[in-house]
Order: sequence, then C-alpha cells, then structure tokens
Amino acid sequence: MAEPLRWPRVLAIGWFYQLKMQAQSGFMIMTALVQPLIFATIAMADQQAGTRSLPILYYALGAGIMGIWSTVVFGCGGVISWQRHQGMLEPLVMAPVPFVLVLMGITLGTATVGLYSMAATLVWAEVVFRAHVQMADPLLFSVSAVLTVVSLGLLGLVMGSSFVLYRNSNAISNMLEYPVWLVTGLLVPLSLLPGWTRPIAYALAPTWGVQALRATALGGQPLPDIGFCLVASVAYLGLGVWLVGKVEHRARRTATLNFQ
Amino acid sequence: MSALAATEAGSRGHFWRVFLIGGLISYRALFYWINPWQYVPTMLAAPLFQILFFVYLGRAAGVGSTAFFVVGNSIQICSMSGIYGMTMAISNERQFQTLSPILATPSNRLAVFLGRGLPVLITGFQTTCFGFLVSALILGFRPAPAELPMLLLTVLVTAGSCTGFGMALGSVGLRVRDVFLISNIAYFAVLLVCGVEVPLSQLPGAVRGLAQFLPLTHGIAAGRLLAAGRGGGAAVSDILLELLVGCCWAAFAYLLFRHFERSGRRTGAFDRL
Repeated sequence: MAEPLRWPRVLAIGWFYQLKMQAQSGFMIMTALVQPLIFATIAMADQQAGTRSLPILYYALGAGIMGIWSTVVFGCGGVISWQRHQGMLEPLVMAPVPFVLVLMGITLGTATVGLYSMAATLVWAEVVFRAHVQMADPLLFSVSAVLTVVSLGLLGLVMGSSFVLYRNSNAISNMLEYPVWLVTGLLVPLSLLPGWTRPIAYALAPTWGVQALRATALGGQPLPDIGFCLVASVAYLGLGVWLVGKVEHRARRTATLNFQ
Repeated sequence: MSALAATEAGSRGHFWRVFLIGGLISYRALFYWINPWQYVPTMLAAPLFQILFFVYLGRAAGVGSTAFFVVGNSIQICSMSGIYGMTMAISNERQFQTLSPILATPSNRLAVFLGRGLPVLITGFQTTCFGFLVSALILGFRPAPAELPMLLLTVLVTAGSCTGFGMALGSVGLRVRDVFLISNIAYFAVLLVCGVEVPLSQLPGAVRGLAQFLPLTHGIAAGRLLAAGRGGGAAVSDILLELLVGCCWAAFAYLLFRHFERSGRRTGAFDRL
C-alpha cells in the first residue's frame, strides 16, 4: 500500500488506543467527569442565586468544554515528555510513519475523552437542575461537538510540541486551565471581560467551539462559529506539523531524543 | 542534673530536631512544587487565575460581591498547599520507597508526622497572602484596616486546618494506590461544599451539614466577616471552630498513620505499591 494511504489507519489506531487508555485513567476520569460537574454545579447554583439569568444550558455547555480543555491541557501538554518518560519516544520516531501522525492520534484520542464531560454536564443540568435540554439543531450540534473536539485535539498537538522545550511542562498545564476558561467565555460572557482579552479569545478554538454549540443548542447562527472553528483547526494543524518537525529534527541532530 | 532529667531534656531536644529539621528536609525532598519553575505557575499564577475566574463568574451571574469571591478564593487557595503538599509529604515516602527506613528509626512518630505540616502550613499562608495582595492591586479589594491582624490570624488557622485535612489524605495514601485522585477530588469539592463560590444558604441541608466538618467553611465565614469590618468579636467563634476542625482532622490523621504503620509492620507491606 502506498505510504500516504496508510496514514488514516495510523491515525485511527492511535486515536482508538489512546481513547482506551485514557478512558481507564482515574486522573482523566476525574478531570473529564468529576471536575466539570463540580464547576457546572457552582455556575448553575450561582445562576439560580443571582440576578442575571443566562439559561442553565449556557453553563452546562461551557462546563462541558471546560472539561475537554482540562483533558487536553493535562493529557496533551506533556505528550512528548510522557512518551520520552515511558521510553517510547525513540521507537515512535523510528517507526516508518510520520511522527506527527502518531502524536496527532494521541492528542485527538485525549480530547475525545473530554466528550464525557459534555455528556455529563448536560445530563446533570437535566436531572439536578431540571433544565430542559433540547437542542435547537441536533445535527449541527453534533457537527459542532465533533469539530470542537478535533480543534482542541489539534491545539493539544501544538501545545505538546511546544511544551517539550520546557522541562516543567506540568506546571504550565497547572497554570493554563483557569485563564483559558476565562478568556474564551466558557462560563463568563466575553462582553464582561476587558477588551484586550478579545484577540486572545479569537485565537483559541474553545471560543468558537462554545459559541457554535450554544448557537446550535439555544438557537442562533452557528455557521460563522463553525467556520472559524474549522479555520482554527487548520491553523493548529499547520503549526503542529511544523513544530513537531522542528522538535524531531533538533532532537535527532543533537542526539537528545531520550534525554529527560 | 540527674540522669533522668538529662534524658528527658535530650528527648525533648530530639523531638524538636525531628520536628523542625526533619520536617524541613522532608518538605525539600517531597514537595514537587518547591522549584521556582514549578512554584510560580502552580502556587502563585494558577491561584491568581482562579480568583479572577470566580470573581468574573460572580459578576456574570449577578451574585455576591467582589469581596465575597476574593475572600472565599484567597482563603481556599491555601488548601492547595495543605491538601496536595501534605499528600506529597506523607504518601510520597511510600511512592519513593523510603517509608520503611523512616519507620525503622526510633524517632518520635508525632514529631515525624507533625514536622511535615509546618512548612506546608507556611506555604499555604503565603499563597493566601499573595491572593489578597494581588486582589487588592487589581480588583480593588480593600478589607477594613483595623481587622487585618485578625484576618491574618484567620488565614493562619485555616491554613493549619487544611494542613490537618491534608495529613489525613496523606495517611490514606499510605494504603491507597492513587491518593492524588482523592486529593484532586477533595480540592475541587471544597470549592462547592465549603461556601467558597456559592453562599452556604443556597446549598442543600445535607451539604451544609457536611461543610461544618470540613476545613475552610468556618475560616472563610470568619474572613468574610472581618473583611466587611464587622469586628473581631463576630468572627471569634468561627475562628475557634476552624481551629477545632483542623485539630480533629490532624488527630484523626495521626491515628490513621499509626494504624497503617502497625498494620504495615504486621503484614510487611509498608512500601508495597
């Protein structure tokens, strides 16, 4: 079989194995399930106690994407470092498929685990907060959900390949959860944030993902947001491929592939 | 000096040496985030973003005031050190296979155990002070100046009670394989249960009842009274309750630690992972 024809298979198998592995990790289940439910409950309880009324579904969707972001930031941020720690980096680089495809399978698989959080927060909103969870456009909602996961997985690829230059990548992961939740408007409307945060928000896929999901669930015009999510995905893919190539080339040249 | 008195003085000196020096060494060895490259993003930046996130969430929902969220979150972030730091300080001995040598020494167990808490408590206190300071600078948080000493005392007591709670989690880590999972859940659960982000009155009765036995609940209530300038007298009962909760958790943790030590000796399974 010609080499490029194998690439989808490599990607699919990498994605599937990563999904299986992460779905059994206690830490990932905590990150994708327990943590978003806690944040969803806080937001919904504040909504009920407060004077401004945004729909419960608004918070449920935001908290769901918070969970996807957490799985990405912790699962993908250290993806290369983790493979190195496990002694798998050299075999993976030596394998006769592009290394970036292997990493992409891992980051997409990790982001997919985040779908747990989306499902969990929607069920939570329906069962505990008696929200009427009904999507205005179920088909486009599904498309938006898949696209959001893909774009966050590709953002994870960019993060994973840039964090490898930083020895304490887990510290960056610890730091990156809250600011991205905040500036991308997952629970707080962008209009309440200072204007200088807007360009940062527009560069990050969760902004477009959550807007697309809200428009398809609550009613609105989701197509521009879906389009921007797609553009962001393509940009992350290009950047990720370039960064992974740089990192791989540098590690081969300096013979530092297995250095911690 | 009689031989007995000299032995007692030596024993006391040994206790304090193990408590202070042993505690400091274990902190340096086992607290992952001591390196500035870890400390700044994890113990300063992340808590700061947490405060900002919840202040804006409160504004978005139109609930509470900025001070409500600043005080709640600034005090809660000391539990990052208390919960994670103590889990590391105790259960990582097992992870790094150094538990058996420590338990083979004749050192006073209480000194070994409590000594680990002091640096963690100080770290938690620092984190909360940083949270208040930055909130004053960027969010305009202004507590009543006359209440500052009592507010600092409240923070100290709350950091202590979180350390006691963390000791209990760390002791559980002597037996459970993945104690950090429990620590993670505990850290996020207190955000909801202890009235940090949602007024306690909004929570169901059972959750409110549970909150009375957890660290932070009374400390945060006292902190909010003091920040609002309601006077130290109003906050004293909450501060004392926070102290009591912390002492109970520390005592429970010590009993748990000794229980796991005894059962580990019996089964020869201190370091089994």
